Amino acid sequence: MLLWRQSDKIIAGDLTFYFPKVDSRAISTEFENRASMEAVNIQFAPETGTEEEWNEAYARLADYFRSYQLHNRIRRTQLILETLRRAAAAHKLDAKRTPTAHSIEQARNMLNEWLGAIYSDMNLNESQLEAGGRLGFHLSGGPARWPNFFLDKENLPQDMIEAMRNAVRASGPGMQVSKMTPREIDLGRVSGVAEDTFDTLGRHPILRYSILIGIIGAVLSYLYLLFR
Amino acid sequence: MSTPAAPAANTPISTGMPPQRIARMRRATFFSFVGLGTIVGTWLMYVYLSERGMRWSEWGLLAVFMPLYYQLNVGFWTALFGLWLMNRPGHDALDLWRTLKPEDHEEEITASTAIIMPVFNEDVTRVFEGLRSIYLSLEQTGHSKNFDFFILSDSNQTSQWIEEETAWLELCRQLNAFGRIFYRKRRKPINRKSGNVSDFCRRWGKRYRYMLVLDADSLMSGGLITSMTRIMEKNTGIGILQTFPKQIGAETLLGRVMQFAQALYGPPFMAGLDYWQCGEANFWGHNAIIRLEPFIKFCALPALPGKEPFGGHILSHDFVEAALMRKAGWAVRLLPTNRGSYEEGPPTLVDMLKRDRRWCQGNMQHFWLVFAKGWHPMSRVNFIHGILSYASSLLWFFFLLFTTFLAATPVPQLDPQAIQAQQILLGLTATLIFLPKTATLLDEVFTGRLFKPLKMRLLTFMSSMADTVVFTLMAPVLMIFHSQFVVYTVLGKGVRWVTQRRKAEGVDWAEVFFTFWVVSLIAIIWAVLGWFVSHAFLLWISPILIALLLAIPMAIVVSGKRSGYRFGFFLTTEETEPPSVLATMNDNLAEIKGRIHLPPELEKHHGLMQVCLDPYVNGLHVSLLRRRKSIDVSRSYLNEIAQRMIQLGPQSLNAQEIKAMIHDTETVTDLHYRLWSARDHELAPFWATAIRQYNLAASSPFTHTLAQRELA
Repeated sequence: MLLWRQSDKIIAGDLTFYFPKVDSRAISTEFENRASMEAVNIQFAPETGTEEEWNEAYARLADYFRSYQLHNRIRRTQLILETLRRAAAAHKLDAKRTPTAHSIEQARNMLNEWLGAIYSDMNLNESQLEAGGRLGFHLSGGPARWPNFFLDKENLPQDMIEAMRNAVRASGPGMQVSKMTPREIDLGRVSGVAEDTFDTLGRHPILRYSILIGIIGAVLSYLYLLFR
Repeated sequence: MSTPAAPAANTPISTGMPPQRIARMRRATFFSFVGLGTIVGTWLMYVYLSERGMRWSEWGLLAVFMPLYYQLNVGFWTALFGLWLMNRPGHDALDLWRTLKPEDHEEEITASTAIIMPVFNEDVTRVFEGLRSIYLSLEQTGHSKNFDFFILSDSNQTSQWIEEETAWLELCRQLNAFGRIFYRKRRKPINRKSGNVSDFCRRWGKRYRYMLVLDADSLMSGGLITSMTRIMEKNTGIGILQTFPKQIGAETLLGRVMQFAQALYGPPFMAGLDYWQCGEANFWGHNAIIRLEPFIKFCALPALPGKEPFGGHILSHDFVEAALMRKAGWAVRLLPTNRGSYEEGPPTLVDMLKRDRRWCQGNMQHFWLVFAKGWHPMSRVNFIHGILSYASSLLWFFFLLFTTFLAATPVPQLDPQAIQAQQILLGLTATLIFLPKTATLLDEVFTGRLFKPLKMRLLTFMSSMADTVVFTLMAPVLMIFHSQFVVYTVLGKGVRWVTQRRKAEGVDWAEVFFTFWVVSLIAIIWAVLGWFVSHAFLLWISPILIALLLAIPMAIVVSGKRSGYRFGFFLTTEETEPPSVLATMNDNLAEIKGRIHLPPELEKHHGLMQVCLDPYVNGLHVSLLRRRKSIDVSRSYLNEIAQRMIQLGPQSLNAQEIKAMIHDTETVTDLHYRLWSARDHELAPFWATAIRQYNLAASSPFTHTLAQRELA
């Protein structure tokens, strides 16, 4: 369970997290009503990794969740802390990978779990679920309409589920394939002769340029004869 | 998504095809005048040259003079017939607009129409803002239900491709147009633009009765689009209906002069063309509506014999498609339009020449088709005119060379008949060149077709005088380059498929110098030669030589943004009273232009940066990629280049490597997480900066290239 405090810093374990002061009036009613958010308890005391590494992971997660257009800083911080908590556990098992890598992996896992719950019966493969699901959240206006339910698989508003499912779009209309086959054009005799000539010239660039040089030479010779 | 509707009932298939009687009469009249003019001119030239018998150089001169004079006559009589049509009190019997009754405009359009826009590395903002304006304009008509839009991309630059995808998604979201606007990217751009369109026809052509083809810089009003569809419904014998796209959006002197000239002199030429082309008009590749069923059945393009540039894939596909459509029995008609159909032109002289090089090669390829069996005779004439439009430059060059030779070996001219013939020919030629322009100008001054206020008409008059100077200086330079293009094509030097630059980005002095110094050198050599040949000859040829000599400063001046707009020069109605479709687009483009941009390095790879970092753009791209059972390259190779990109940045990869990576769904997904997972010191400086700055750039990843205009 997360501990949420309205302050400009949270000290957890050996880490200090700073985030902007929050105006409580700006918190949405929806957010206020959520029982799970009334008391947030921070349990973050990573046993492995350095402070610098976890701070870096924090900063990266902050940027990452911001790229989801989540403008609610409080929600973003909640997500960061939850992700870091998971990452710390994972880092304990595999300390070779950096806290940043673990954090992003955990964010991915959380996303896939969340999307899996939303698109559970739509028969999407992993790649479609991940890509289409993210897109569905954007197209349904999710970042603005349901920022507090992002990655919260326990609380899935029905209207959000419907909007996200409806938003999975196809890139084009159904095809109705038809044949468009070129027909031979009978180019006639003149074109035949010309074709042979150009073919010959095409095969012999030296001949081609000899003809050109011949023409230029003839012109220059004529000029010489004219002015001598 | 619209559904195919039943064909228009009770309309005979010949409707829209001009009656043969009228078409024959018109052509007989038109070509009689052209033929007479050419014969008279050639005869006068012969009389002038043959005073002391004909030498070989004189025969040569006469041989090149004849097609040149024919071309001059075609232009002259086309404009004159057009002016006559525009000013005569009665209606034109073949006027397609008259097939629509006032009540037709209220009827629902049941025919399904695909509006397609093939793109190739174009300015994404311009493409999608143009499309948005067309879409909104069409919505305003209240008859847009059965129109679908397709962006058919062949873009091979990764960033461009990603930006197209994001712009498409954002446009659909803003307009609530999912299922109405579609985006398709070809993996392999086979056969360029015509292949792109054919691919659409094969996949979706059966769903639609009509296809309206747009260029990346096209703009069309909803009113005109619905009218064109109605005309096609009423005239089931028409296979292709081509509008007259007027130029818009020019900022440079060259662009504005071309734009002005097209607005002023274009309408009579279009009316004249429509007069004699009848049901065998040309297709110009865009701003036209096509009946899909016969197009799919009869207009697939075969490859030409031999290799490129003369043979191989047909470059200027539009003329050939028009000929094939006519061969199959459908009419190809030109719809004279004053408003509603627009395009943009090249901003600088160098850009214009690059475009001309492509067009020249395309037109020269049609040489093969002139003699092919089964064409309508007018289709052959169209091919010949296309070839002549570039070959005539070479002919003019030869004409000047022969003239130089003849000046060097003068024979005394004593025969008064020959002197008289020379004077008449000079007067006649001047008339052929300047009368259409003068008559069009007088028509504008008296009728005020473009502008009603007298002041504006006078400004138009003065602008017309000024454009004569610009065109006089440009014509000899174009002659040299077009001649070079023709020779290059014959010698087998092809052109690459490059994106056309449509907006001025300032004058590149080095590019201008290296493009035109040879032209100035030719002028100097020719002038020295002329000095030795004869002073009188030098005086005669001096206007051409001066133009060639001034090629570099002229190219710089016309490519600059001092275009006389401040003084009211070269104004068009689209500049003074922009139609709503244009005003909407301009407003949106202005909004985007005023935004804060990312550092140049990030801007350059913006699309690539987005697909790698942004979870939504990454999701969009992966969703749009077609799943493939096997990949063209090994997984380890993809891992290796992905690692290189993370550690060294996108500049460490070539275009092929980036393309291979970005085409693979697994790699694209992994790359997203690998980048975010890497510690700062493991990342290339590009990515470290990108991660820090990405979220600050825009409120939404999808709005980078598009204006923020949410529907109410």
